[in-house]
Amino acid sequence: MKTNHALELNNIVMAYGKKVILHNVNLNIESGEFVSILGENGAGKTTLFKGILQLLPIEKGNIKVFDFDVTNGKDKTWLRSQIGYVPQVHGRGNFPISVFDATLLGRWGTSFSYFKNPTKEDRKITEEILEVVNLHHIKSEDCRKLSGGQTQRLNIARALVRNPRILLLDEPTTHLDVESKDNLDKTIRDIRNQYSLSIVMITHNQSHAETVSDRIVHLKNGMIYSEIGVKL
Amino acid sequence: MSILDFLKFPIFQRALVGSIIAGGTVSLLGIVIVIFNLTTIRFALMHFGLLGGAIGLVFGGNPLTFALVSIAIGSLFFGPLSDKLKLDTGLIGALFMTGSIALAFLLFYKAGVPALDVFSLFTGSILTLTSNDLVFVSILGVVILLTYIILYKEIQLIFYDIEQAEWLGIPAKRIRNGLLFLTGLSIGVAMKIVGALLIDSLILLSAMAAIRISKNFKQLIILTSLFGIITTTGGLLFSMVFDFPTGATITLTGVLILIASIIFHK
Repeated sequence: MKTNHALELNNIVMAYGKKVILHNVNLNIESGEFVSILGENGAGKTTLFKGILQLLPIEKGNIKVFDFDVTNGKDKTWLRSQIGYVPQVHGRGNFPISVFDATLLGRWGTSFSYFKNPTKEDRKITEEILEVVNLHHIKSEDCRKLSGGQTQRLNIARALVRNPRILLLDEPTTHLDVESKDNLDKTIRDIRNQYSLSIVMITHNQSHAETVSDRIVHLKNGMIYSEIGVKL
Repeated sequence: MSILDFLKFPIFQRALVGSIIAGGTVSLLGIVIVIFNLTTIRFALMHFGLLGGAIGLVFGGNPLTFALVSIAIGSLFFGPLSDKLKLDTGLIGALFMTGSIALAFLLFYKAGVPALDVFSLFTGSILTLTSNDLVFVSILGVVILLTYIILYKEIQLIFYDIEQAEWLGIPAKRIRNGLLFLTGLSIGVAMKIVGALLIDSLILLSAMAAIRISKNFKQLIILTSLFGIITTTGGLLFSMVFDFPTGATITLTGVLILIASIIFHK
C-alpha cells in the first residue's frame, strides 16, 4: 500500500553485542515533515540514525524509505541517493581542504567515483548549493578557518549536493553561539522549502526543537517516551 | 672534496638517489600519522622491530630482516585490531609498544642474547644503502605515489571526514588500514636511512610543516613531498660538504623547515 511516509520505522531493535540500545521503536516521518528527536546522552538517538543509514545492523524490525524496504543493506546505493546525512561535529579537524572540495566530495558515488573525475555538472551543482548555504564567497577558503556555524552550513551543503529527499541532522547546533544558531536555522528553513525535504534532527535542546520542527519525539532509554506536535 | 667529487662514489650516488625518492614519497605518509593522530605508532612499530630483531638473533637469522618483517606484520594488524577491539589507534600503539618490548627483553634473557646487538638496528645511515635497498625504496615510493594519485578523492574524504566517507560507500577503514601498512613499511625504511631514533625527520616533520601552510589537499601533497626532498637531500649534501653526521644533519634540516613554517605562518 502506498503511504505518504518518507521514513517508516517498524519495531526497530538495535544492540551493541548483548546490550540492547533501541527497544521496538516505531516512528513514521511524513513526506515534507520536520521531526526533532530529543533525548539524553545514551538514549539511542545516534544509534537510531546509524540504523537508518545502515552503518549499524538492525536486530529486529524493518525500515522503509518512501515505502521501499531498506532494512540491513538492501540497495544501499539507492538509499544514499535518498538520504543526506550531516554527522555530529567533534571539533575542527586538522586537514587542509577547500570549502569547494569539501562540498564537491559529497557527490562521490553519484556521477564520479574511483576512476571517474567530477564532471562540469558536479561542479555546477556544488557552486549552486554553496550559494544556497551562503558560503560561495569563501569557496576557496581552507575549511579550518571557518567558524562553527559556517562549518555546519558546509556539512549541510555536502549532504545537499546529492539532491536527497530526506535530511538527517545530528545535533547541528551544538557548540554554536546564538547568532550562528539563528543563521543555521534560517538556512535549514530555506533549504527545507526550496528542496521539499523531510528532515529528522537529533537535538538536546527542547526550545530549539520547538522553534524549528513540526513534531518532537522524546527518546528515553531506547524507547519512544512521548510525541508532541508543535504548532508553528 | 666538492659535492661533485663525492658523487663519483657509488655510495654517495645511491645515497643521493635514495634521499630524493624517500624524501619525496615516504614523507607523504606523515600526513596519515598527523591526521589520524598516530604519533605512538612510530614507537610501537619500532619496538615491534626490536622484538623481530631479537627473534632473528635467537634463531641465528639476520636481525634487520626479521625486524623489517615484524614491522610489516605489526602494521598490517594495527588498524583491524583497533577496529575489532574498538580502541583508539593510539591506545593500540601503547599496547603494541609495551607488549613487544617486554617480550623482547624476555627473549634476551632466556636466550642469552646481548640486548645491545639489537639496539644497533636503531642506528641506520643513508650512506649504507645497498642497491637492493634502493630497489626496495623505489618500489615503495612508486606504490605510495600511485596510492595517493589513484585514490586522491577517496583519501581526501577519509582524511577530512571518515564517517561521511563510509556513509558514501568508500571502504574507508580498508583504505586507512592500507595506508597504515605502507606507513609501517616506511618506518622500516626510515630506520635504515636515518636510524630509528631520527625517523621523525623523514616521515613526520615535512608533513607537519606542510599541514600548517597548505590550503588544500593538492598543496599539501606537493609541499610535503618538496619539504621531504629538501630535508633528506639538503641534509645529505650539507653533511657531505661540512663533514657533519648525516642522520643528524638530515633531522636538523627537517627541524629548521618546521620552525620556519611556524614562524612564517602563525
